Amino acid sequence: MSQSEHDDCACTEYNELTSRREFLGTSSGLSGAALYAWAYPEWLPKVSFADSFVANRDIMVSVFLRGGADGLSLCAPFGDPLYYTGRPTIAIPRPDSTSVNRGLALDDFFALPQGMRFLMPAYQAGDLLVVHGAGLTYNTRSHFDAQHYIEVGKANDSSVNTGWLGRHLATTSPMKNGASLRAVGISDGLVDTLKGGPQTLPMADPANYGIGGSSSTRDARTAWLRSEYENSGEPARTAALDAINTINLLRSLNIAGYTPANGAVYPNTGFARAFRSTAALIKADIGVEAVHLDIGGWDTHTDQNPLTGGMNNQMTQLSGALGAFWQDCISSGLAQNVTVVVLSEFGRNVRENGSRGTDHGRGTALFTMGRGIRGGRVLTSNWRPLAQENLVDRQDLAVSIDYRDILGEIVQNRLGNTNLATVFPGYVPAFRGVTK
Amino acid sequence: MRHTTTDPVGDEMADEGGVSAVTACATAEREFERPSRRRFFALGVSMAAASVAGASTAAAQQTTKQTTKPSAARDMVKRLLQRAPSTDFDPFSRQGRVSSKTWDSTLTKLVRRVTNGVTEDELKLAQTLGYNGYLNYQLGFNKIEDGTTQTFVSQNYPLLTQSVEELYNIDQGMVVRQLTEASVYRAAFSKRQLYERMVEFWSDHFNIAFPQVNYLKLIDDREVIRRHALGRFPELLKASAHSPAMLEYLDNTRNRQRTLNENYAREVMELHTVGADGGYSQADVRELARVFTGWTLTGRGNFTFDPNNHDFNAKTVMGQVFPAMPAGAGAAGKSEGDRMIDFLATHPNTATFLARKMLQWLLQYEPTTAQVAAVATVYSRTQGDIAAMVRAILSPANVATAAPKLKRPYTFMLSSLRAVKPVVTKVSTISDRYLRLLGQPMFYWDPPDGYPDHADYWAGGLLQRWNFAAYLTTTSGELTMDINRFVAVNTPEGITAAISKELFGGEMPDRLKGQLTTYLAAQSTISQTRAREAVALALSSSAFQWI
Repeated sequence: MSQSEHDDCACTEYNELTSRREFLGTSSGLSGAALYAWAYPEWLPKVSFADSFVANRDIMVSVFLRGGADGLSLCAPFGDPLYYTGRPTIAIPRPDSTSVNRGLALDDFFALPQGMRFLMPAYQAGDLLVVHGAGLTYNTRSHFDAQHYIEVGKANDSSVNTGWLGRHLATTSPMKNGASLRAVGISDGLVDTLKGGPQTLPMADPANYGIGGSSSTRDARTAWLRSEYENSGEPARTAALDAINTINLLRSLNIAGYTPANGAVYPNTGFARAFRSTAALIKADIGVEAVHLDIGGWDTHTDQNPLTGGMNNQMTQLSGALGAFWQDCISSGLAQNVTVVVLSEFGRNVRENGSRGTDHGRGTALFTMGRGIRGGRVLTSNWRPLAQENLVDRQDLAVSIDYRDILGEIVQNRLGNTNLATVFPGYVPAFRGVTK
Repeated sequence: MRHTTTDPVGDEMADEGGVSAVTACATAEREFERPSRRRFFALGVSMAAASVAGASTAAAQQTTKQTTKPSAARDMVKRLLQRAPSTDFDPFSRQGRVSSKTWDSTLTKLVRRVTNGVTEDELKLAQTLGYNGYLNYQLGFNKIEDGTTQTFVSQNYPLLTQSVEELYNIDQGMVVRQLTEASVYRAAFSKRQLYERMVEFWSDHFNIAFPQVNYLKLIDDREVIRRHALGRFPELLKASAHSPAMLEYLDNTRNRQRTLNENYAREVMELHTVGADGGYSQADVRELARVFTGWTLTGRGNFTFDPNNHDFNAKTVMGQVFPAMPAGAGAAGKSEGDRMIDFLATHPNTATFLARKMLQWLLQYEPTTAQVAAVATVYSRTQGDIAAMVRAILSPANVATAAPKLKRPYTFMLSSLRAVKPVVTKVSTISDRYLRLLGQPMFYWDPPDGYPDHADYWAGGLLQRWNFAAYLTTTSGELTMDINRFVAVNTPEGITAAISKELFGGEMPDRLKGQLTTYLAAQSTISQTRAREAVALALSSSAFQWI
């Protein structure tokens, strides 16, 4: 914009805000809170930085299992004999069986498979809640549609193109005043869940965020771009400087050198590394209040193998990363509360198919984890025996709990946002007591 | 399919609270009275959204009820995103004065608008032919010899010429990949550059998201968009109204006399012809939906008119009276839709609406009232001759005073390809992965309004552009840039001059020249790596982001 427009809308403020961010960008080696305190311009009201995070608002970590994750493997209803008659080769063995792959009892009806064992400590501590027979009430078994509808929070409405989490961020003030980065999506492009979120960026790898090319010239080229764009016109100028400041900010955090707390060890998988970066971003206290992560590979049409093969590997990755994160950031006594939700677009058929796999279904298991979650149990609604007459199209677990009931209660009670009608347009979430 | 008629709850929420708040924000932007830009940036959409939330409780209880306005939610997002720069700003100058450099010569500005990226060859051609000669040359696209591109496309993308019967049963991922790659290749390398620019424009104007219709969009791209991109708008509109892809995408296949679906009727007026303020009411939308009942598909995706689903009762749309037709009228019922297509195509508001959009696409974000009126007049006088409108839009007087536009990611990619001229075996990785990373995966824009075209929307994707530039200048295999063209004179000045020639037609801004030579001078003997980095930095520069 031209200079005159800047003047008329208090451009001094705008320019000073920009220069403050630039200052932050060129400093390194200072902790986040210290940076902000140092550079805070005196014309803004004094803010105490002692509690830079708001006490009654949790950090949100959103996880999406891409492909339609089989909830009946993630949390097996061993108490129903029909589970076993429908799945002769892929059922999780009963906890009281002698099989080395026997399930781990959550109660007298449901069990976790061995692949999910790294979540047992969180469950036993009461921090992990399993919600079963949950998902999208709109009837679709299309990956693309179901993922999209869940992430934007409304089915079959092309006017809703932002994400539920993006809208949550847009309807709340930053947890940290002046935060230049409020949400990160650990993926290539910005996922639907986060679309519409202010100060939100996709980062395929937060530990390595920056311009590509040779690492030996990366700093020089970044500095070159800063100098080039400082003398350019808007809106590219602000966008460029924001990007460079974010790059420098992330570099200064040294995520690669992050040490987890409480003895937590993140497995050496891509997904776990992303969780490790998430922990580092949270503890860096720069204002990141939401992170989204994806894990694919759940579309198990053939040779599902939840005991020893493909799906077992996926679940081990999932629970290994979540378990380490729980140990690092939730059970470690961190002052800032974190709530995790794990969703998938739909579940899979109750009965296995002819290829030792399962095809697209409806209801599945979703998970939520945090100190503010009433966990240590499996929440269901109107759970019935898996007889064909109780199943959707005689084949699928019904969706008895709209996923927005769980998210809505978390958004209001854990994230402190009452704008639920904006976050979930056209739906009034029914709270089910999942939060403390 | 995903599109419904208006979502009453969503629209009502935006109507009751959000719109006024949004207007306040938008007004604040222009009149600089209220919330400072700082707050606007900090809170993003939260101000509008907060009022939306406030109004929502009552709205949430509403049952089916049609709004009178076209999607107000979409308007809200549009208004929030639209902060067009003033017409006298210059991306090359901090002071915001129009640059006097020859990069801004009228002829060069013309070439920048006519093509997807200036090349030295194209500039030379323009200089040889002169302004009008060059414009006529590009408008006469059919006479431009384009064998190299056509051969590459036909050899690599055989699906492009296939029928619905051949396409319906194959991997649709392959279909969208070939469609996308062929689009990228032609837009980058075809000599018929102005034609390709108009293909892109009409693809947005008549947007169809591939995932909702699959192979039908490939047919639409061929038979509707590419067949008429520089033809006559009434023909283009008629082709679109008969397009199986469009009828499916906008739910007209589900529009029947007993169960009306207004989606296509609304969008054909709001987005394709007269525009949101084009003089129609909600009643007109409903009546037009009744006109189009029975316009549907048969078989694997061929247009058919089904009289069994057509409403033959009397109708009135925008003052056009359709008397009731007798019960056995059958195929004659289609004439109502034909007549409305003609009516909309010849409506004066269509002329204005299209004139403005085409001016915004080709010339500048904020065309003047006079420019819009002049181009609208051309539309009316020529019965919608698109080439004639383009000629009027790109007059020397208009181009001389045109303000810059920010390249969208697609155009940035194309202009990078045209600048570095890689040897191309495939464009797969860039068409699939990088277009997605850059933020503009073609044929995946979900709502019918097409990819946005304002600077604020795209400015945030700079880091991805810088990374693409690094990729393009170092990769080999599918695309291989020949660094030798840049290092023939292996000095900082020599390399910078070569970059200036290839990227800017020899007219790189001086400040950028200085910055590049400084970067290159850091090594006493300039390595190829450093030279490649300099090319990538030039592609990343602010100057290269603008048309």
